[in-house]
Amino acid sequence: QFADRTIKFTNGVNEDHPVGVGVKKMQEILAAKTGGKMKINAFWGGSAGNDLQATQALRAGTQEMVCTSSSPLVGIVKELGVFDLPFLFANEKEADAVLDGPAGVYFNKKLEEAGLVNLAYWENGFRNLTNSKRPVAKVEDFEGVKVRVMQNNIFLDTFKTLGTNAVPMAFPEVFTALETKTIDGQENPFVTIETSKFNEVQKYLSVTRHAYTPFLVLYSKKLWDQLSPQEQSVLREAAIEGQKVQRIANRQLNEKSLASLKAKGMVVNDVTPAEQARMFAKVQPVYAKNVPTIGADAVNQVLDALKKARGK
Amino acid sequence: MKKPVDLFFKLLELLVVVSLVAMVIMVFGNVVLRYAFNSGILVSEEMSRYCFIWLTYIGAMIAMRERGHLGVDTLVKHLPRLGKKVCLFISEALMLLCNVLFFVGTWKMHELQVTNVSPVVGISMIWIYGIGYVVAAVMALFNLHVLWRLVSGRITEDELVQVVESEDMPHGDLTDTEALLKDGVRP
Amino acid sequence: MTVSVFVFSLLGAMAIGMPIAYALLVCGLALMWFMAATGALPAFDSQILAQRFVDGADNFPLLAVPFFLLAGEFMNAGGLSRRIVNLATAWVGHFRGGLGYVAVMAAIIMASLSGSAVADTAALAALLIPMMKRAGYEVNRSAGLISAGGIIAPVIPPSIGMIVFGVAGNVSITKLFLAGIVPGILMGLAIGVTWWWIAKRDDIRPAPRVAMKQRLKITVEGFWALALPVVILGGMKMGVFTPTEAAVVAAVYSFVVGMFIYRELKVRELYGLILAAGKTTAVVMFLVAAAMVSAWLITVANIPGEVVKLLEPFLDNKTLLMFIMMVLVVVIGTALDFTPTVLILTPVLMPVVLKAGIDPVYFGVMFIMNNAIGLITPPVGTVLNVVSGVARISLDDAFKGVMPFFLAQLAVLFLLVLFPDIVLVPLKFLMQ
Ligand code: NA
Ligand code: NA
Repeated sequence: QFADRTIKFTNGVNEDHPVGVGVKKMQEILAAKTGGKMKINAFWGGSAGNDLQATQALRAGTQEMVCTSSSPLVGIVKELGVFDLPFLFANEKEADAVLDGPAGVYFNKKLEEAGLVNLAYWENGFRNLTNSKRPVAKVEDFEGVKVRVMQNNIFLDTFKTLGTNAVPMAFPEVFTALETKTIDGQENPFVTIETSKFNEVQKYLSVTRHAYTPFLVLYSKKLWDQLSPQEQSVLREAAIEGQKVQRIANRQLNEKSLASLKAKGMVVNDVTPAEQARMFAKVQPVYAKNVPTIGADAVNQVLDALKKARGK
Repeated sequence: MKKPVDLFFKLLELLVVVSLVAMVIMVFGNVVLRYAFNSGILVSEEMSRYCFIWLTYIGAMIAMRERGHLGVDTLVKHLPRLGKKVCLFISEALMLLCNVLFFVGTWKMHELQVTNVSPVVGISMIWIYGIGYVVAAVMALFNLHVLWRLVSGRITEDELVQVVESEDMPHGDLTDTEALLKDGVRP
Repeated sequence: MTVSVFVFSLLGAMAIGMPIAYALLVCGLALMWFMAATGALPAFDSQILAQRFVDGADNFPLLAVPFFLLAGEFMNAGGLSRRIVNLATAWVGHFRGGLGYVAVMAAIIMASLSGSAVADTAALAALLIPMMKRAGYEVNRSAGLISAGGIIAPVIPPSIGMIVFGVAGNVSITKLFLAGIVPGILMGLAIGVTWWWIAKRDDIRPAPRVAMKQRLKITVEGFWALALPVVILGGMKMGVFTPTEAAVVAAVYSFVVGMFIYRELKVRELYGLILAAGKTTAVVMFLVAAAMVSAWLITVANIPGEVVKLLEPFLDNKTLLMFIMMVLVVVIGTALDFTPTVLILTPVLMPVVLKAGIDPVYFGVMFIMNNAIGLITPPVGTVLNVVSGVARISLDDAFKGVMPFFLAQLAVLFLLVLFPDIVLVPLKFLMQ
């Protein structure tokens, strides 16, 4: 019941990212369960197109799989904008509870309507701010810092509201721009900060944890429908097994990256819960402005799940 | 027939100039705003990229009409007339195939682009990818025109080679020594 | 097997005289068909072509291409190029064979202003060859020298070739720019020394010495043109703008100088100049976009992996590997123009470079330099074509004239293959 298939799976991150651990696990499971008939051919570092291009190829049915963070997909599934909202999740436990519960199913349905089958939520993780000017410990410290953010309206809004000059810039230009001080800072998870060597050109790392981005492991709906039920279920199983090791690896590596960034001389500061609450208060207009575009339904799904997770 | 076609290409030329000027204003404006006023035009990065795509494809149609696309004519040049004709026929037929596939592919992706909006400006991406319809159709018409002239025996000698070997061959008065020396170079 | 589908479809389509952009699409279609037949792709699907083709032009760093082309148009029409030649004439024209040194000095300065070899060479040739003819220089030699000087342009920043390579190969454009300075000056020195040797032998009459007062006046006039490279490199180094933005600054700067300071740029010329830059951009970018279609299929078909396997025995010896790749590029460069060579070879060679542990910036500079040299090798030597057109001599004569300078620049190239530190050490210093 398994056909010979080579599945093209593209990734924007490099192979040494925890996603690599997850993909490897998937490959092992496919090899074991299908007798080597179904194979994953993985491409790394955007070598086979960026995440949005790949996602469109999935919808067209010209490519099987992509692992992408939710942010670039907002133009296709506007509800995914929820995950760009600032200071939404407090920790990984909350994120897991929401994504693996009914809210996760809700987004899977939205993705499926757009021609994408989400096999599992993996993790990109909490994003933190680095800059070359000063430690950012309270909301006033954001003032006047030139920060590169993704080309995404909610991120742009958030950083403008916090008082920074938000500069949309393509990722490949960021390192040089930080080096020559064209911009002062950028925001990404620890792992990305370390693998992109931003510590060489940035002095301060502030643990702002201002957004949590999930990775989606997507399969082309068009091609999914051509698979046998056994093939589908083995792929789902592989992606879920991959999720377990990927999340663990991601959390471990983030801790390791933070320690190593410290060791390499970055000045790291935490943000107290009280200050984080002040930041959250300051970005309320971002919620007010963007909830209507995201859709109140999607936002409520997440907020309800969060309430449950927080035991209220 | 000649006149409306000329007019159409004059319009395309105007669009090329407008796109390039818009790109200059947006990107340069962003540098000035960021450096002098610590602010910026948020749509600049995205819109200048879209202008760039339009410029590329609109300019490519003009270049096709002027036979200005890059190619290798070394081999074809040395063929006898019949050989040149055979090569031209195959080449135009293959290009026609590419253009038809470009058109069909754009059509098949139409819905996917309509339902994909740009992250900052929020326009539907069909405005960008839809350029495929125009380019593929216009280029295919060129191919059909050349093929028809070839088959009906009207093709002229200089039409038999449709490419140039380099993109930035100097144009106009750059090679006109007199014009460059209008004020005289001091010896 | 996939490698041969790639090579034969591409070469075949180019040989029959198709535009290279379409040849790349045909190559992509052939790969797609082959992979669909062998099950490596779900199906032969026109959507792959339509999507990747438009995606290929969607690239912010490449905006530097139209901006630098526009800057070049403004510089030539606005009198910046002419003032550079005047300046060089005033300072080195009176030596034996002085106009030759003028050509070398002007070529290096022009290279630091402009990103394209052909535009530079055309301006230099139009200005200098009549002067050299009048002064009794042998025309073939003069044409040869100017051709060899013109190809320094893509090696010294700014460089459109480096931008295209940086984007296609995912290499830092700022680093490529900084790394190109020393090799570019070395190319200039090499042809300067060669000229000195020829001038001594031929005993060419020097131009009259320009009085110091006059010299200073000409230098002051040339100041605005000379300041441009300082603005570009300084601005990038100080973080005022990124490489892409540097290009737009160059365009605006040369517009302002030509229009309001030198007052040689006329309002009625502007439309034509912008259109010319736009059309050249379209030709380059149409090719880039088509190359992205084939590049995607090349990657998905795992052709780089096959090439790495092919070169496996040489991966341990970086110098030998560089030597092999450089010879390959010289050979391809005889028959193919600059941009297509960069676009076709980069996705194939970069994985090899990375696998072997060769510094990608070093490789990029060498690759661009080599492609620049290809501009003066027949049968397809665009720079040589332009110069022979301006000098009204045959391509054969022009090649005979360029021969000693060509050999000198080839010597520089292979010197850098043997001693990569000549590129890498100054780069380290400049990056601080
Ligand atoms: Na240059
Ligand atoms: Na050549």
